[in-house]
Amino acid sequence: MRLQIDEHRCKGCNLCTLVCPYRIFKPGKQANRRGVVIPELDRPERCANCRLRNLYGRTLCGTCQMICPDQAISWVEEDAHVPKKVAIEY
Amino acid sequence: MSEEEWLRQDRLPHIFCAGCGNGTVINCTLSAVEQIGWKKQDTVFVSGIGCSSRAPGYIAADSLHTTHGRALAFATGIKLANPALNVVVFTGDGDLAAIGGNHFIHACRRNIDITVVCMNNMIYGMTGGQGSPTTPAGGLSTTTPYGSEEPAFDLCVLASAAGANYVARWTSYHVRELTRAILTGLETPGFSFIESLVQCPTNYGRRNRFKQVTDQIEYFRSHTILVEKAGRMKEKGEEVPAGMILSGEFVRRNRPALGVRQ
Repeated sequence: MRLQIDEHRCKGCNLCTLVCPYRIFKPGKQANRRGVVIPELDRPERCANCRLRNLYGRTLCGTCQMICPDQAISWVEEDAHVPKKVAIEY
Repeated sequence: MSEEEWLRQDRLPHIFCAGCGNGTVINCTLSAVEQIGWKKQDTVFVSGIGCSSRAPGYIAADSLHTTHGRALAFATGIKLANPALNVVVFTGDGDLAAIGGNHFIHACRRNIDITVVCMNNMIYGMTGGQGSPTTPAGGLSTTTPYGSEEPAFDLCVLASAAGANYVARWTSYHVRELTRAILTGLETPGFSFIESLVQCPTNYGRRNRFKQVTDQIEYFRSHTILVEKAGRMKEKGEEVPAGMILSGEFVRRNRPALGVRQ
């Protein structure tokens, strides 16, 4: 699963930066086109829900999604991993 | 079905200010409704007037946006007309405690089978920050520029005394506990009252030294104490520190309820 912030819904209140136990959300620096400073994701692959949700079949932490007043945080299914063939030339 | 399907996608993003806690309470309520497994066609969300009362407008179930303070009166009518419906009332502190105070105590007395989620932001947020009956003593607002001198209403104690079957208080920081409390409230037959303190960064926080949204959430985190713990402290003869918000389950009992499906 992949963590994502909906840029159209987020209003930049930074509540997610307060509650995440892994401190994945960092206060943003650049305002977007609507003038909202959206939090940045710092290595979102550390999120427990991203890694283990499909294995356990339920939401594991989800505090950021619950506390987000704008319903902007969600998890989306990632595309299946396609192994690439790497040709090594000697 | 997921929580996202309960939201009216075309209505989002909602008009609440950045960092308003009402959105958090909507999340928690929808999560609880989702867990109890109610269908959209059997669920009605009712609200009065105010910031918090805009919530049913963002939920894709039948909703009723009624006159100021009269949400409980309309909800009583819905429940008695068709007891098969599940009724949830969203209300604010001005709506419930000030203009609808009489409806509130009588709904508690009748013990009608509805769930009331009160988003208490301690101020009239929508109309420009006037003091409400739940503005804490010393709180600044446009009508109390030198600090509120009146004692505030304790809505949970009021509901317990008036006879509600389930009464709990949490804040918008305690999302897990709030969801669990709302779920218990939905399951309980009879009047369930869940008060949630929410932050109002625009009108309350700005005037009361909570400049950032996170400041008020930090305050909720550090200034809440469980009812049970406060009781234990009193038994030992210790003083509960002043200014602490009592949170947790106040009452759970089984008085005969009105409007319960037979």
